[in-house]
Amino acid sequence: MTRGRVDGLVGASRVDERRAARLGLSAAAVVVLVQLGVGAAWSLRNDDPTELDLTRQCLERDKGLTIEATTEDSVAASASGGTLRTVVEGGLVTVSVAGSHAEVERLRAAYATHDDPGRRLDVHGRYVFFWLREPRRGQRQVTYDCAY
Amino acid sequence: MADAVLLAWNAWHYDWLRGYDAFANARYAEIVSTDYRLPSDAESGVWHSPPLWFALAGALGRVTTAIGWGHAQRPGQLLAAAAGLTVCALAFLLARALWPERRVLHLVALILVAASPALVRASAMYHPETLAVALATAGVLVAVRALSTRWTVASAVACGALLGLACLTRAWALPVLVVVAVAAALDAGRRRHWLPVAALAAVALALLAPWLVNQQVAHGSALAFNRRPPAGSLLERRPTSFYLGLHTLRSAEHPITPLARNELVPHLYADWWGDWALTWDSPPPPAPAELLPSAVVSERARQMLVGIVPSVLALAGLLALAILATTRRWAALAILPLSGLAVVTAYVLFAVRYPSTDGDTIKGTYLLMILPAAGVGAAFVVDVLRPRRGLWVPVTGVALAVFVAAQLPFLIL
Repeated sequence: MTRGRVDGLVGASRVDERRAARLGLSAAAVVVLVQLGVGAAWSLRNDDPTELDLTRQCLERDKGLTIEATTEDSVAASASGGTLRTVVEGGLVTVSVAGSHAEVERLRAAYATHDDPGRRLDVHGRYVFFWLREPRRGQRQVTYDCAY
Repeated sequence: MADAVLLAWNAWHYDWLRGYDAFANARYAEIVSTDYRLPSDAESGVWHSPPLWFALAGALGRVTTAIGWGHAQRPGQLLAAAAGLTVCALAFLLARALWPERRVLHLVALILVAASPALVRASAMYHPETLAVALATAGVLVAVRALSTRWTVASAVACGALLGLACLTRAWALPVLVVVAVAAALDAGRRRHWLPVAALAAVALALLAPWLVNQQVAHGSALAFNRRPPAGSLLERRPTSFYLGLHTLRSAEHPITPLARNELVPHLYADWWGDWALTWDSPPPPAPAELLPSAVVSERARQMLVGIVPSVLALAGLLALAILATTRRWAALAILPLSGLAVVTAYVLFAVRYPSTDGDTIKGTYLLMILPAAGVGAAFVVDVLRPRRGLWVPVTGVALAVFVAAQLPFLIL
């Protein structure tokens, strides 16, 4: 085989490889752009949900719980991030979302004004969970799973 | 060498209990290495996993405990680290077996695989994933070499043994075994030489069949999982958001649980390049995402950016290898994209079949089996499309150095 023929084969094989790489890159770019496009379209058409919205969705869709409006709880009603109420494995819990650590402490202090709630009051980040009865670990975990 | 130090350091410093299924893995290893039996579903949550790694990790743990070294799980973590390092070396050898003359390609493949966060994290855990990937990749390497020259009975037995052992470590090696066996069978048909492929299948089956039969008899399915799939159509088990990944953009800036939970692409991407479930170096126990130290969030958000180019290159590379293998009828090369496709298909079916509310069936490590092929593919694209003259070799080197350096704060514990 002559040197020229070998060079020709190598050249052809390089062209094959470049074509394959370019096609692969184009297809990958399309896939990524489509994925980003879907995400961008969703973000543009939907307001970002609040933490309480996400928690509500999570408790309803992922945990299969029924959500109720919080009533007769002036402390929860004062939470700037909103409040909801649900029943987790038989335990009634009022969920309040605070806007800051300072507000968490305010809510905690307000709940403890009349008597010490002990383990019925559970603080997890900016979430304040007020249980009717002391929760089991599994019950607390359900609420933690839906804390954003 | 640097990667060996990194993986050993991480394995030594990582709290084994933070790894996936850590306690269940420890129970499995303890039972299989002391009672010489498989655990029941009540004894370990990972009873559905094949036993090879657990037997090795358990035996190593017993030895080190007996000699007073203490920590029963550390040897298992170091075994995972050694397997992770082996995966890197095998990716390098795989690239060299396919393109012997292209040193840049070999080096790029090695670096992309070694600096993959999913591999680094899995290599520190008390977990079987990296061993399965190492065994399967070794089997693929033997197959690539045999298909490039000629299958012998010895190479077929070695390939069957490696892939059989990989399947005895994690079920994700099964699709790879199927692809290699089909490629070997097609090659045998072309050459009219069936003995090697028969040897490959016989050895792999001899290793794997007892496990599959046990699962079928004991749990009603050879591929039993630790929970029953929900009733109803496969198409109805996941919501539309699982397929569309609606929170893709938001998860890029906040790639942490629970955002984008159970949205396949953003959840997987965030976990592969970062630490979606907060099992790496965040302060335990994980707090709600909004309250994590800002450095934890920003470090993971940076990982999301770092991962974009290599991810696109990996996808492009697998596609390019498939195109090249088709146009050249190159069976040895075809194994890489086909095994990648088979593993991804098996994984997506698994994730759809077993939906979970907490997203625990979506993890980057589930797809580690495709890493060597994806790394070689990405390296191929880089090598083919980079200009051959001027400063491009050093530019490629600098880009790789930046890619690694940007990740080091995250990768080193």
